[in-house]
Amino acid sequence: MIKIRDLVFEYPGARALDGVSLDVAPRAITALVGPNGAGKTTLLRLMAALETPFAGSVLVDGLDTRKQPRAVHARLGYLSDFFGLYDGLSVQRCLAFAARAHGIAPELVQQAAIEAVQSVGLGDRLEQAAGDLSRGLRQRLAIAQALVHRPGVLLLDEPAAGLDPQARRDLSRLLLDLRDKGMTLVVSSHILAELEDYSDQMVIIDHGRVAGHAGLKGAELRIRLAAPDPRLKDVLLCQSGIEILRADAWQARVTCQGGAEHRAALLAALIGAGLAVSDFGEDGHALEELYFARLNQSGETKH
Amino acid sequence: MNPEFQRNLWLELTPARLLLMAGFVLFLLAASSAAGLPGADLVSTALYYFLVVLWGTRAAALSVIAEIRERTWDFQKLNAISPFAMTWGKLFGATSFTWFGGILCLPFILIPAWRGQGAAAATAELAILILQGVLAQSVSLLTSLNLIRRHHNHWRLDTFLCQITGIVAALTSIGVGDLVSSGPQAQAVPLVWWGMVWDAQRFQFFSLVIFTAWALVGCVRAMRLELRLTNGPFVWLGFLAFLGLYEAGFESWFALRVASSDLASQAGATRLAIADLALAFSAYGMVFLEPKDLVHIRWLIAQARSGRIGRAFLALDCWMLSFGATVLCALVLAVLLWRDPQSIGGEAASSLVLPLLAALGFFTRDIALFVMFRTWSRERGDFAALAALAVLYVVLPQIAGAARSLLVPQLTAPAVPFAAAWTEAALLWAWTVIRVQRRAG
Repeated sequence: MIKIRDLVFEYPGARALDGVSLDVAPRAITALVGPNGAGKTTLLRLMAALETPFAGSVLVDGLDTRKQPRAVHARLGYLSDFFGLYDGLSVQRCLAFAARAHGIAPELVQQAAIEAVQSVGLGDRLEQAAGDLSRGLRQRLAIAQALVHRPGVLLLDEPAAGLDPQARRDLSRLLLDLRDKGMTLVVSSHILAELEDYSDQMVIIDHGRVAGHAGLKGAELRIRLAAPDPRLKDVLLCQSGIEILRADAWQARVTCQGGAEHRAALLAALIGAGLAVSDFGEDGHALEELYFARLNQSGETKH
Repeated sequence: MNPEFQRNLWLELTPARLLLMAGFVLFLLAASSAAGLPGADLVSTALYYFLVVLWGTRAAALSVIAEIRERTWDFQKLNAISPFAMTWGKLFGATSFTWFGGILCLPFILIPAWRGQGAAAATAELAILILQGVLAQSVSLLTSLNLIRRHHNHWRLDTFLCQITGIVAALTSIGVGDLVSSGPQAQAVPLVWWGMVWDAQRFQFFSLVIFTAWALVGCVRAMRLELRLTNGPFVWLGFLAFLGLYEAGFESWFALRVASSDLASQAGATRLAIADLALAFSAYGMVFLEPKDLVHIRWLIAQARSGRIGRAFLALDCWMLSFGATVLCALVLAVLLWRDPQSIGGEAASSLVLPLLAALGFFTRDIALFVMFRTWSRERGDFAALAALAVLYVVLPQIAGAARSLLVPQLTAPAVPFAAAWTEAALLWAWTVIRVQRRAG
């Protein structure tokens, strides 16, 4: 969906991105992670055709951001880390303006606005002024504005910053829902645990370069048995869609390529084989471990 | 309806604000009438200018600057509104409240004019008042669109600068008719432009229409840049050609006022000199306003080095084009003065070549100063360059004037300023290019 090749971007006196190349898979959530100042926001802005690269190219749905920036703008929604709203307008007018500004025909504006507010759960706030909304609700409204024209790509820069746990959970659900509806999402965030909930792919940016990337669908699963059973490894080998990282008679660590249904099927197969499974679940720190491992690798390579 | 215009109307023209403005205007006019102040038309004219020019220029500037301050500009840039629609939606939407107040003043201005001078005069006055408002506001918007490309956060200063440029544009448009026909020769000399005799008011009107149109074109082009579209150089070159031709038309006015100059005695050379001055002013104006993005300059140098001259030319900034046009025009004038002095004012004309080239050298140095100071500070570079120019053109001549008579009388030789100007220009440009390259990422 998004192809980036040899991308270079400079600020006066600083090279923010230095030869970045990566592919963003369609209908997936790609997490951009990296330390502060690594170049994540710059990369998102270049994907959104809000900046012009010094060298290299960004293709969004086959369109070059340098040659056809307005066509790229029409295909995506973007939420910056410090977004603003027209505080004097009601939620309904904010969305009506966003819809009209994105070229939706006047007769379809109302419907588009209603669909957008419903998708973010703001249906009961249509007449409320944007300036009177809480931080979490403002975030939802901003996302609704970015979604109102049903873009194929949604770019979100630190979308969970400043949100309370409930709002973060709601945001995760919303992003997964959008992905399931066929949207391609790129999310930049510092909160690795939250990214783990919904990301399919992780790209690590460090010092303006891609320090590593990994698929997260194959998140690590830990399996522990109540009593040792030498058949554990053999049973796992018979399962499709998993990769065994480590296995002995007591426990195993595997990566699972599928989603929740695949994990349920794996658990059923283990129990069905007569194994006394006492612990089965994702390793909560898998993404964090992966992140620091790749970052360290990148650091060692550079030195 | 244009969605940007509609959004502005939602925010600007609320019933409470409309009532407040109507009450304010009517109260002020009634109070001035009760207090026995000069005619209602004068008070309402002053109020019109206050609302449409003074307040309107601020509203026009804030139409973009406030979006950046409130962090809504990225969202706007990603929408599907065309640069033209975005421009007029902002220009007339963000200022709609001030226009509402201004329109309330118009009957109090026009009815006395109608009664006193007839319908034609009242219509002409209406057209001029509206055009002056549009010109002031569009120049303010144009300035703001240029200033925001510099990416700093001095929004109050930026808004003030935009207001100043808009107000100066309006004042110039008010004064242009008077200026060209005023002074001691006002009665004897009609307004002559390119040899044609013009009625001053009519000339003012047509000038106003054309400059307003150019200001609007400028706004659309600046908006295109904000929406990440590229502008070729040709429209700006067209404006420069127009500016040169427009100013050159005042050759007879110029000749009368600088009659002692040998140059002024010949129309062709005078016209070229006036055109060159206008181009130089445009270069100074644009080099101050435009961002002088060092990364862009490095990109241009890289393109030129790799032989992609055409690609680099298409991406030149306005100040670069103005600079090039000024240099070209000055060189043509110098060649004319050198090769055929008899036909353009006699032998003395050739003696102007060296001072002309010296002036060109100082101009080249000045432009380098702006770029060089920009390499030091994005925030304060332009104002530092202005301060440096003030020192060079105001303070140093005072000191040098005192010193010259005592110490270095030989500096008055004509070759000295020429050599000094080009040495300074060459050194500054070399230093600037080195600094631009050193600030690479």
